[in-house]
Amino acid sequence: MKALEEFKDELETCFGTSCGFCERGCPVYQTMKVKTLSMKGRNRTMLGLIQGRFEITPAVVQAAFECTLCGNCDRWCALKNTEHTRAFREYLLRHGVEPMKEHSSIASSIRNYGNPWFQPRSARARWTRGLDIPKAAPGQQDVLFFAGCTSAVNKPLNRGLVAGARLLQKAGIKFATMAQDEPCCGSTLLRIGQKHAYESLADENVKKFEGLGVTKILTTCPGCYTTLKKSLEERGSKIQVQHLSQEIAGLIKDGKIGVKRSHEKLTYHDPCHLGRLGGVFDEPREILKAVADLVEMPNNRYESKCCGAGAGLQSAFPKLSKDLAAKRVAEAKSTGASAIVTSCPFCETQLKTVPGTKVLDLFELLLDSVGEKNSNSNGRNTPK
Amino acid sequence: MSYIEELVSSLGREKVLTDPSELFVYGADWSPRTPEEFRPPDVVVLPRTTKDVQRIIKIAFEHEVPVTAGGGLTGMLGGAVPLFGGIYIDTTTMNSVVEVDQRNQTVRVQAGATLQEVNDAVNPYDLWLPHQPESKWVSTVGSAIACDNDSTFGVRYGKILGCLLSAEIVTGTGEIIELGHRKAHFTSSGYKLKDLLAGSEGTLGIITEATLKLEPIPATRRVDMLVFPRMGAAVDYLNRLLKAGLCIEAAHINCKRRLKFYTHSYVQKFGKEPEIPAWAEALLAIAFAGDPEVVELQRAHALRVAKEFEAQLVEEREIVDAWWASKYTLEFEPFKQKWPDSQKQKKFGAADPGVPVGRLEEFYHKFIQVAEKNNLEIIGMNAYLEHPNSIGFSLSCAVFVDYRNPDEVKRFRAFHDELSRLAVSFEGTMSTFMSDTYQKAPYLDLEHGPSLRYMRDVKRLFDPKGILNPGKKFRKEERG
Repeated sequence: MKALEEFKDELETCFGTSCGFCERGCPVYQTMKVKTLSMKGRNRTMLGLIQGRFEITPAVVQAAFECTLCGNCDRWCALKNTEHTRAFREYLLRHGVEPMKEHSSIASSIRNYGNPWFQPRSARARWTRGLDIPKAAPGQQDVLFFAGCTSAVNKPLNRGLVAGARLLQKAGIKFATMAQDEPCCGSTLLRIGQKHAYESLADENVKKFEGLGVTKILTTCPGCYTTLKKSLEERGSKIQVQHLSQEIAGLIKDGKIGVKRSHEKLTYHDPCHLGRLGGVFDEPREILKAVADLVEMPNNRYESKCCGAGAGLQSAFPKLSKDLAAKRVAEAKSTGASAIVTSCPFCETQLKTVPGTKVLDLFELLLDSVGEKNSNSNGRNTPK
Repeated sequence: MSYIEELVSSLGREKVLTDPSELFVYGADWSPRTPEEFRPPDVVVLPRTTKDVQRIIKIAFEHEVPVTAGGGLTGMLGGAVPLFGGIYIDTTTMNSVVEVDQRNQTVRVQAGATLQEVNDAVNPYDLWLPHQPESKWVSTVGSAIACDNDSTFGVRYGKILGCLLSAEIVTGTGEIIELGHRKAHFTSSGYKLKDLLAGSEGTLGIITEATLKLEPIPATRRVDMLVFPRMGAAVDYLNRLLKAGLCIEAAHINCKRRLKFYTHSYVQKFGKEPEIPAWAEALLAIAFAGDPEVVELQRAHALRVAKEFEAQLVEEREIVDAWWASKYTLEFEPFKQKWPDSQKQKKFGAADPGVPVGRLEEFYHKFIQVAEKNNLEIIGMNAYLEHPNSIGFSLSCAVFVDYRNPDEVKRFRAFHDELSRLAVSFEGTMSTFMSDTYQKAPYLDLEHGPSLRYMRDVKRLFDPKGILNPGKKFRKEERG
């Protein structure tokens, strides 16, 4: 990963161009209307900082961290702006800025508990109870189901994981989980500027996955999806990472999961990490369209607006984060849909904070619509 | 109490930025200025209402502090950069749509609304604001008026002044006044003070609200590109189409070199530059819009007439689509927007003169000569038809400039100034879409002669202490 100083040419290009096309889609700028919080402004702040035009001040720190890293600015630009911002955060920590207290507690929780939620490691396997899923062991499975911290240790989110696992079982897919030994993927560390902590965690994780001999990792969490992909690819691993929607959409297409369709109007919220940053737009929609009528929000796919949960914004800037959620929910309601469907535990939790909002997990929705004829598989894992 | 303390006390802490890092963000636009010339404002204010702006101006008036207002900061000649520090008013915090009057086809907006925000608001009523520069996502209503920038659809609808019915401003003394004729489309009453705002660069008052005329959205649009052996042939062809009675929606003449700047997405897609016949020196992009059968009729006639002018239709649609995306739709492939990819090493710099319609060809050759003399990499020339149903065009004479190289910036300015002066000697004008800024201030009398004194008097009337955007149009020491 490049350090901020290595982005100097790109920052000068942005400074020289000044087109500001990033401003229109930026959820934070459009809410706050302060140019220092737009990507054009943030690039300028970074440039001024490394040119020594000013010192690090609270305003500089705010410019670095008051961003969800949703990647909307990158959609309108040839530069990799979210990478600049990540490097900006890392630069500040490297130059003596204390991590925001909310972010430092997240980092210490990951260090001590293996998740950012201060939950004991034993809580991580709780969701698997009664599902008869084997624990991964070296050479014993091809497919690893990676639950991710947030869905695994937060009880209300367990249902999405259970649904995902049961769908795989119904289709006869064999897989294992790492149960309580499953590590944090490091997504949060990466996005709050804790580069070294992330790198060492990623090193350990890749060794663990390689040690298990898996060929594919399936995850329901978009943050884990992009982070695991990055970690594995940067370390030359051949292990494939897929979001579970990609696998499930294929199973529906192949007739391995039969679905009862309704004409309920539902809208789909693209999680930033899955859609814009991960490039997965179609498969979640194929699943949704298999069970109900999809009505798109005005801003969808690449133009989808962030829910406000990402990159530590929810913890460090809760009011702004809630404002962004309210805007997205208003957009969803304007479609006339009865509920918002999403496929990210952060988005689900965040959007639900807006009173009167019905948010459905994509896999729960699908499981509810699956006909009994698909229940013939015992879903048991058969070791190789 | 210092003026900044007064601003905080009057507006509230949250509307006043003073941290050096925040000020740095507001001190530059798209114009080629060296890092040494960069001078951030001393304070940035984020008003929400006209009353807020009035409070700011009254404090500035009292303390005789310079005030520069800006919008998207995409200006290409430094119109909104605060040359002498002082207060920078970020008008983009004032972006509310006050009223959409569907029956009378008008919209009232705060001046910080972007042109795109206005169109987003009026689109559900099947109406649009046809003033559409390439910077429409960021360019604000106030900036479009104050800079008098260009529009893709000028040949049918004119520029922003053609849409502007009325505007509210705060003068240099802090007085709030409305200039214009409410929702009537024109007037014969009084002096047309509203028209002074077009290209005023914030030197007469801060524009806070505007009432704009809207147009019905045409059902369809067809865009084509034709190549011509000479730029002058394209001008003659357009004149012939107007004589024929066609209603052209957009007409842009590009020199062959300039096409490259607008086909970024073509190059991205095919990995090569678009191929244009070797004999072709000019490319005309032309659009017709309206009901499908009317559009087809007009287009067919235009293509028939083209044969009389040795023109050839560009059959490769990707070339036309790439150009149109760059100019209007802005539908770039994700993560591959033209800006800033086209300016990795150097930035775009231009002179914006206007010449009589019969002298385009002659001026084009002068542009090439002057650019080469100053050792500048040539991007090329565009002639945009900007006057309703008439052949009048603005010129963009563009080169690449390394803003980090003081010598190159100096050569760019020499190039800009020489072309501006030449345009006057061609019986034309120095500026057609960027205004005068500080760049043309030293020789503004060349174009305006004795009338410049009346302009100074007008400036004094609106801004007696010379606090509004000092150094623009007139040198600061001249005090307007």
